[in-house]
Amino acid sequence: MNPITRKHLSRRTVLRGIGASVALPWLDAMRPAFASNRPPTVRLAFTYVPNGVTMADWTPKGTGKEFEFSRILKSLEPYRDDVMVLSGLAQHNGNALGDGPGDHARAGASFLTGVHCKKTAGADISNGISADQVAAQALAQETRLPSLELGCEESRTVGNCDSGYSCAYTNSISWRSATTPMPPEMNPRSAFERLFGADEGPMTPEARARRAARRLSVLDLVAERRQALEPTLGASDRRKLDEYFYGVREIERQIERAEKDQRDVTAPLEKPSGIPATFAEYVKLMFDLQVAAFQTDVTRISSLMIGREGSLQVYPEIGVPDSHHPLTHHRGTPELVEKVTKVNTFHAELFAHFVGRLKAVSEGDGTLLDNTMVVYGSALSDGDRHTHEDLPVLLVGRGGKAIKSGRHLVYPEKTPMTNLYLTLLDKMGVKEETIGDSTGRLQHLSDV
Amino acid sequence: MSFSLLPLLVLLSDVPVVPAHTGKDPAAFESSIKPLLTKSCYVCHNAQLKNADLNLQAFDTTEAVLADPDTWEKVVVKMKTRQMPPVGFPQPDEAEVRALTRWIEDEFQEAERRAPADPGRVTARRLNRAEYNNTLRDLLAVDLRPADDFPQDDSGYGFDNNGDVLSISPVLMEKYMRASEKVVRSALFGPGDLKPTMTKIQPPGPKIEPCTDVPAEYDLTGLTLHSALHAVHRFPVDGEYQVRVVLGGLRPAGSEPIDIAFAVDGAAPQILSLDPQDGASFYDDKQDFTGKYRDFKVRVTAGEHWLSAALPRYYEGLPARYGGKNPATRPVVKPEWKPRPNATPEQLEESKKRFAKRMEEAEKTPVNEGRIRHLEVVGPFDYPRGPSPKSLAAVFACGHAPGRHRDGCIAPTVGRFVRRAYRRPVQDAETAAVVALATRARAQGDSVEESVGLALQAVLVSPDFLFRIEKEPTAAAAAAGEPVTDHELASRLSYFLWASMPDAELLRLAAAGTLRKPEVLAAQVRRMLKDAKSQALVEGFGGQWLQFRGLESAAPDKERFPSFDNNLRLSMRRETELFFESVIREDRSLTDFIDGPYSFLNERLARHYGVPGVVGSEFRKVDLQGTRRSGVLTQGSVLTVSSYSTRTSPVLRGKWVLENFLAAPPPDPPAGTPRLDEAKIGADQSLRKQLEAHRSNQTCAACHSRMDPLGFGLENFDAIGAWRTEDGKYPVDAKGALPDGRAFDGPDEIKAILKGDRQEFAACVTEKLLTYALGRGLERYDRRTVRDIVDRVAARDYRFSALVLEIVSSMPFQMRRGERARS
Repeated sequence: MNPITRKHLSRRTVLRGIGASVALPWLDAMRPAFASNRPPTVRLAFTYVPNGVTMADWTPKGTGKEFEFSRILKSLEPYRDDVMVLSGLAQHNGNALGDGPGDHARAGASFLTGVHCKKTAGADISNGISADQVAAQALAQETRLPSLELGCEESRTVGNCDSGYSCAYTNSISWRSATTPMPPEMNPRSAFERLFGADEGPMTPEARARRAARRLSVLDLVAERRQALEPTLGASDRRKLDEYFYGVREIERQIERAEKDQRDVTAPLEKPSGIPATFAEYVKLMFDLQVAAFQTDVTRISSLMIGREGSLQVYPEIGVPDSHHPLTHHRGTPELVEKVTKVNTFHAELFAHFVGRLKAVSEGDGTLLDNTMVVYGSALSDGDRHTHEDLPVLLVGRGGKAIKSGRHLVYPEKTPMTNLYLTLLDKMGVKEETIGDSTGRLQHLSDV
Repeated sequence: MSFSLLPLLVLLSDVPVVPAHTGKDPAAFESSIKPLLTKSCYVCHNAQLKNADLNLQAFDTTEAVLADPDTWEKVVVKMKTRQMPPVGFPQPDEAEVRALTRWIEDEFQEAERRAPADPGRVTARRLNRAEYNNTLRDLLAVDLRPADDFPQDDSGYGFDNNGDVLSISPVLMEKYMRASEKVVRSALFGPGDLKPTMTKIQPPGPKIEPCTDVPAEYDLTGLTLHSALHAVHRFPVDGEYQVRVVLGGLRPAGSEPIDIAFAVDGAAPQILSLDPQDGASFYDDKQDFTGKYRDFKVRVTAGEHWLSAALPRYYEGLPARYGGKNPATRPVVKPEWKPRPNATPEQLEESKKRFAKRMEEAEKTPVNEGRIRHLEVVGPFDYPRGPSPKSLAAVFACGHAPGRHRDGCIAPTVGRFVRRAYRRPVQDAETAAVVALATRARAQGDSVEESVGLALQAVLVSPDFLFRIEKEPTAAAAAAGEPVTDHELASRLSYFLWASMPDAELLRLAAAGTLRKPEVLAAQVRRMLKDAKSQALVEGFGGQWLQFRGLESAAPDKERFPSFDNNLRLSMRRETELFFESVIREDRSLTDFIDGPYSFLNERLARHYGVPGVVGSEFRKVDLQGTRRSGVLTQGSVLTVSSYSTRTSPVLRGKWVLENFLAAPPPDPPAGTPRLDEAKIGADQSLRKQLEAHRSNQTCAACHSRMDPLGFGLENFDAIGAWRTEDGKYPVDAKGALPDGRAFDGPDEIKAILKGDRQEFAACVTEKLLTYALGRGLERYDRRTVRDIVDRVAARDYRFSALVLEIVSSMPFQMRRGERARS
């Protein structure tokens, strides 16, 4: 990198019209490239689909490397080498174990925790810490945001949502502690602002410098008013205006600081204005936000609930105007089972968009997908029967070459899903003894 | 003796140095007052004992008394309410109390009269959120309302346009920057690419007690039923929107399909039909509306609109056994019992039994559980792109078509904008600086529009726009004050009545120097009150004076008030808004607020009040003679915001009346006051009896003997304003008496008393409106102004326009004092 003699360009110089073009060089040169001698950081993401899945259309035929993509998972076939289908995992603590009905609440609560949550609709909720938050707390110093929780279905967060269980259980899969859920952000605009500040979106360095110059020239003009105004004001008026001029100066400082900032945290996508009109756009946008967050290293851990547990979402755009949850209580009726499969397939297609986007970002000598581990699945398999074993689970991405992808692995019945999480945490450099009901690490992920 | 009390809370900033003159009857101080004080007060309030840190004996002369109005005001209050001398000490008789208090009041009044007039001063104040939005709308014909995303404004003296408390933080400054960019872009180039977005609207619904009875009569439109959903939603731009109406709840198996009616602003509804038997359901033995929906397309203008979704002919189409009209005729598919595989014979028996029970219960499925759960508004689609001609005309004066502007357009365009935005004549140097910004941008390659846009942005964040700055009077005129300039007067007028910038006519009159002429001013006031922009007065002043803004956060307990729904909440607010509006438009007397025998109701509200003969969801003027309601005190909005979510509070209601009708707000309770035992209320004693505890304790009685009776008089109205004769198991006792002895029974008699004291009421409204108009709290020296205004308004029958005109013609409105020189 050439040392660049940085002339101290006063804003006045810029204002006098030497122009934005002069501002360019020092911005460009200061932007860091992802130097190839830095070890790639591993990212961890979770994508949750609610109400279970038609397992007959999910489970691939064949095991190991030679497996056939099922109907539901067909859209992921182009990414065969990056996809692992894991069969036989279970969340034992999602079962009633004497607590009666409430499988949706228990499913949501146990998915990332492996804990049997307390049956209550009141303020005394109790679950366990989730795998993503274990990682987030261990790696908190590394990034600006420890983790990102997103969701695509708004719902109440208090009161009774499932047979005497609090809505907190169906609403969040991420738990900071046994008593503190991390409710997902529903509005893509707010999520964007959390990640990238109140910025408007991607800009070329020229455009950014230009906007900064314009803002500074506006602020300069109003700051000049001070000299003319102050002598004419009484003391109390002056004090009021002081607040104003302080605000002006603060913004100038912010702009100047941003110009000197070494890190490039320009958002790689435009700021959303709100929740998109169609569900597909909405979910894809939430996936794009996660990609952007990983790409800019604002955070390395994220989760997305495509629907809350017990989701009532309708899917008229794929010919399923029925509400999802009642639909999954099909009692075996073929037409309705078929509709459930359609919804599951739709979800998987949206997920394939995520995988594609991750794969499209180059990183080091590979892609962002190579350095990411994404878990896609549900804590219910049969939504009609409320089964918490033989769960639908995908593990996508190589985790920094730590995972030997491209296989269908069938684990012994009722293998705890938490064993998978322990293993993934290992790959993030987070060593834990146990999480939830784990009994050890999950074998064969890194070897044949 | 009239129920007249000096306000207990009077805040003084600078205490004027009272010139060495005396009041009305200074000699009486030595001859008759001091002896009274000696007999009743000096016993404790002397130099040695100094009870309550008060040494009355130290006040040796009339001048000394006049120099400490705070203390002596307190003396008057304590004596009038018989708190002092305390029980057990020798009590002065009626005549003595009267003599003492009257002397004090007269002396101060005279001193005030003789004191030099003081117009007060308002601190430079920034535009509050409403003013900012409205000003941008009037300046650029763009109604984006960016300030809706700003932090909430602080309030002072009850209003959020108070100069002293409105502050600017760096966060707000940043928002101003972004807002100005956005608004200018929209004005010059159009709203840009607005991707359609989805907003979910789910107001808390009423609680539904499941029921299998079909009522003989009910609202066939469905609009006032619990199954309907009403909401007010702000649409960002004109255009087409899709509204998805989503249902929930259950209905008996075999019922006919239902209709869903959706309407905007009470227009004729669109109707779509829905058959809950289509599609997946949780249940096979009843109909399930969960998640089922219909999409409606509507075309609306930007701004707020009332959306209503309802289920018409709600109790029709049910199975015949329920006895409703038009019973269902469709074939019913009965569910079959399916044996579980691998079940033992016992389990099969059990399962059969459960199935039979389920079928039995399904026969008694409630008929009132189906309802509208939420709306999803998606849009805008098909909205006008490009800048509106109005916006372009507001900005450019050169007459060129968009894209055809020349460099020569820049200076006059920017100059004109600066003058309008600064709301005053501008000096060449000011304009030149802004024009220079535009020409520099042009030189760097920006189009004429872009360059002009940059200049406009700068203007919209400059202090001269964001603040209403009034010039400081010269040193010579500092104490007595100077008239504000005509332009400053025009701004005061327009922000008072419109919460927005002066329009072309006001500015013209200001420039011509004729605005101050009494006949011109009067004509302008009339014009401005007639203008639709005076709605800002209803929302801004009315919403804070009558506190109906508080309805947004009212959360009546669902168990106790199951009927309270969003429809009722919105209707209550609309009623009070329309009432205030009509007082302005028809120039009614202020006393209509006390007992005007009319209001504006729709069917929902009329049912709630028990007023017959009002059908339909539009609001219309209703004669309330013979009902138990009149004026504002018995409107749902006031009754609800002055209650708790679970019960009424005579204390809150009494406080409301004292604060907002009588300008006599009670002070806060002393520290350590024990709370009322909520669990006991209504259990073994009526609420009224429990509040008697307020009166038995002397410290409490001081304030509560004023507050509680007023609230008791309104106890027939429950916490959401419905009439009742019982509160739980206790009959309502709406009797009360004021400290001065006047008794009443029920709301009508209270109103009669208030109306009898209409001067007090008018003084209160005057104080509030003057506070709002000036943007500062009132001081002692304003009392004279208030008294004069009230006298003149009384002579004009208390007409609203008279009050506005008097305020606008008053000294504090037209003049401004300089900053006090520190001696």
